[in-house]
Amino acid sequence: MIKITDLEKKYSTEEVVTVALNKLSLEVKKGEFVSIMGPSGCGKSTLLNIIGLLDDPDSGSYRFNDIEVAKFNERKRSELRKHNIGFVFQSFNLIDELTVYENVELPLVYTKVKASERKKQVEQVLEKMGIMHRRNHFPQQLSGGQQQRVAISRAVVTNPKLILADEPTGNLDSANGNDVMQLLTELNDQGTTIVMVTHSEHDAKFSHRIISMLDGKTVAENILI
Amino acid sequence: MILIYLKLALRHIWNSKLYSGINIFGLSLGLAACLLIGLYITNELKYDDFHEKSDHIYRVTMEFNNAGTINAAAVCGTQVGPEFKRTFPIVEDYVRAYLGNNTIKHGQDLFEENRILYADPSFFNIFSFNFIHGDPATAIDAPDKIVLTQSTAKKYFGNDNPIGQILTSGGVDFKVSGICTDPPQNSQIKFDFVTQFYNLGNGVKTETWWSANWVTYLLLHSNDNIKDFESQVNEFMDSEAITAQTGSVSPNYLHYHFEPLKKVHLYSSLAGFEPNGSITYIYIFGIIAILILIIAIANYTNLAIAQSMGRGSEIGTRKVLGAKKIQIFTQFIGESVLLTSISTVIGFLIAFFTIPFFNLISGKNFEIVDIIHPTPILLFAAFAIIVGFLAGFYPSLILARTEIMTVLKSGLSKTNKSGTSIRKLLLITQFGISIFLISLTSIIVQQVNFIKTKNIGYDREQILVLPIGGKMVKDFDILKEAFQNVNGVKSVTASYETPEYVEWSDGITVVGKNGEQNISLNAMPIDLDFTSTLGIEIAAGRDFMKSDFALMDTSNNSANYQLPYIINEKLASMIGWTPDEAIGKIINNMAAGPIVGVIKDFHFSSMHEPVGPLLQFLGRDFSRVFMIKIDGNNLQNTISGLEKVWFDKIIGRQFNYHFLDEDFDKLYASEDRSTALFKSAAILAIILASLGLFGLAAFVIVQRTKEIGIRRVLGATISEITFLLAKQFLILISISILLAVPLAWIAGNSWISDFAYKINLGWHHFVFAGLVVLTISLSTVSYHAVKACLSKPVKSLRSE
Repeated sequence: MIKITDLEKKYSTEEVVTVALNKLSLEVKKGEFVSIMGPSGCGKSTLLNIIGLLDDPDSGSYRFNDIEVAKFNERKRSELRKHNIGFVFQSFNLIDELTVYENVELPLVYTKVKASERKKQVEQVLEKMGIMHRRNHFPQQLSGGQQQRVAISRAVVTNPKLILADEPTGNLDSANGNDVMQLLTELNDQGTTIVMVTHSEHDAKFSHRIISMLDGKTVAENILI
Repeated sequence: MILIYLKLALRHIWNSKLYSGINIFGLSLGLAACLLIGLYITNELKYDDFHEKSDHIYRVTMEFNNAGTINAAAVCGTQVGPEFKRTFPIVEDYVRAYLGNNTIKHGQDLFEENRILYADPSFFNIFSFNFIHGDPATAIDAPDKIVLTQSTAKKYFGNDNPIGQILTSGGVDFKVSGICTDPPQNSQIKFDFVTQFYNLGNGVKTETWWSANWVTYLLLHSNDNIKDFESQVNEFMDSEAITAQTGSVSPNYLHYHFEPLKKVHLYSSLAGFEPNGSITYIYIFGIIAILILIIAIANYTNLAIAQSMGRGSEIGTRKVLGAKKIQIFTQFIGESVLLTSISTVIGFLIAFFTIPFFNLISGKNFEIVDIIHPTPILLFAAFAIIVGFLAGFYPSLILARTEIMTVLKSGLSKTNKSGTSIRKLLLITQFGISIFLISLTSIIVQQVNFIKTKNIGYDREQILVLPIGGKMVKDFDILKEAFQNVNGVKSVTASYETPEYVEWSDGITVVGKNGEQNISLNAMPIDLDFTSTLGIEIAAGRDFMKSDFALMDTSNNSANYQLPYIINEKLASMIGWTPDEAIGKIINNMAAGPIVGVIKDFHFSSMHEPVGPLLQFLGRDFSRVFMIKIDGNNLQNTISGLEKVWFDKIIGRQFNYHFLDEDFDKLYASEDRSTALFKSAAILAIILASLGLFGLAAFVIVQRTKEIGIRRVLGATISEITFLLAKQFLILISISILLAVPLAWIAGNSWISDFAYKINLGWHHFVFAGLVVLTISLSTVSYHAVKACLSKPVKSLRSE
């Protein structure tokens, strides 16, 4: 599903050039659950952003479902993103001014799904995530665990082929963290490919494969099943 | 401590260059506009204020009822001044004055001068024009004396001493007896020379109530009970002895009114030496200044509140470290006053550089020295501090009152909902004012355009106007024929006045279908070829012909004298005749005579008035202007030809010509000024409001960067995001439109109601204003929105 070859990404300021990704190559197959681990600043989040088409590489190849997307412009990236990829962030990234229902509904609005169909899909996913009773609440009125459930609901409501999770349990206590990992595992069991960046060995154990990174490169790979 | 605050304030201004720049520039523009408008208003309100005795000087105006029509004028007969002084002890002195033109000769040099003031010797006793040389008491106590203004003395004599020098006018020598400073621009009497009233000729030496051509001022011992004095005067005028002299027997009358000198310019409807100003203009200017200032202050406050939202953690930290509310409050008020002080200085500079432009709009002649004056500087400084305090007060108060933990946890923007409401209110106000001014400007521009392009009933293009004076009437035929023979000249005529503004009021007696009628009307003594030269259409009958002179038979003591007339359609219909019926009928003005033609109505006054009844009679001897229709194919050649004829035939007069359309344009000088004023105000308002919106939109978008990022990640397109961001501003602007349109409709309707011929107020004026504001504001918001969208979503998300 994902094939990355010799990917490079540098960030420069007036004085320093930081190499975030250094000729990195990686492959993720359809239906896999992959964790990416490594110390802060090793390039994990940059890699995830590029996989998620939120950022573009300086050089190298990125094939998504056999299509070269590294040089896609923003419009094409956006099109591909909204139909294929769901995101789960450490800080949830919910819109404070929208209710739970409206937050989850948002990707369907942007994919031009009809209102009646949207309602059905949003209610289905909220029911599945166990937060239907909170549908009219605003994000600040929810606990961290509940907010992340909303974020996951939003990520899966369009039935994406790929879910990218950036430290999804980083802001949660262990009980809520376990719940979230359980949800992700269930999604993966249903066929969704998951790529997760994490610092947590515990969370990584939920995945099929752990890729370790250092200084913008993959340095080890650990297959768990 | 103050130094630390000052350093911090400067650093803060520097760190937020965009917002501070917008704040400073917007406020500077607003303050500069207010400074200039303030200068104008002060100048107008102080009109004629510089005379020491101004509180005791009154201008006399006459009001008379003639054949049922009441007329008024700011001129009187020669008898008014002397008679009132003899009769009423309250009158200390009087002065009769007339502003004339003549050729002045100095050595071999000839100058055509049109600001020669003929006045009684009391002139310099009543009015305070400062003398540089000579004694005001004796300056014009003899007929051969003449006083020059400083700049006229410079023009004629350079640096030589002008006292005792000789100037010649009309073959008479005048000795320069005094030099006074130039009359200030806020003086209703502006002159270059002053000489004796009696130098106007023998006609003015006889006292008469009529032949009212002279502006008369009275100096009164007391300014109490002027109404009583006026009543006494009018009782006197109605007395048998006086009505026997005036001939105004009841119901006709001749009355006088007294206008305080300082009120003449702004409050009188009667023009004297110059067209009056209007207190309405002062109100309009004042309101515009206030509106602009409101926009500028609203801008400032709006951005200040918005900026304060980003300083939550700074304030939280300060409070944690022990800052008291009053210290936070003082710090932010201080920053605000510093910002307004910088704006004040820049505002002053902007005012400096825009004085020439402002002079164009206001019709004034201000100079830089008018601004560099302790009073405006002090007022401006005080004003800036007050504005700084007022505009900074609200944000400072909010910042000072915020609780530490709330602000540290959630930031100010989430804790302060009332700030958002005030910002919305200010934005609505700003755009409301902009829409109001743009709508009004659009109405004024269309109305002025309408009156200027409306068919006025005659052709004003390519008509060259030359003055007639002195002995020219005697050689009228020779001159006219010589002009007619110049290459490029199509036809030549003459009249007492040019046709765009006929002032000659008169009355006729006529026997119409309903019996004898007395009708007040305007009259025009004209020469042959008037109708054809001006392209006026004839509805019935014909133009005057040479053979008509035969009717004016002065032999046999004028026993058979008849005056031929041409009337306009309006007059015919007032009498009850169709144009054809009118031909050959007899009417009586100065003399009885037949109507030989009926012309179609043409506008002989401004479009404020409907076309009234007009009488034309063959009156070549009254002619004061030649009107020469030229083909315009070789303008320069034609003018040279006319100039050659002028200098061949006329001795001692300069060739000063102008075109009739210039006279026409002067009629609407006040409307042109309104247009320029409103255009400038509307442009300034929209610039200021857009600047404010630009800053505010930038700020709001920065606050919503994370949201934009999330939406982009979830698939929102740029247009969807732009619409989302613009929506909140669109709602506010829609409210502004709803509030401003009715007000603009009322104001526009009131302005055009002053015209007899006017446009229909339509929705397009308001739709236009709304569209201008919407387009500008949408572009402003879209600029920021698109900019925010074009950055990669990951950057937006990192803003957390």
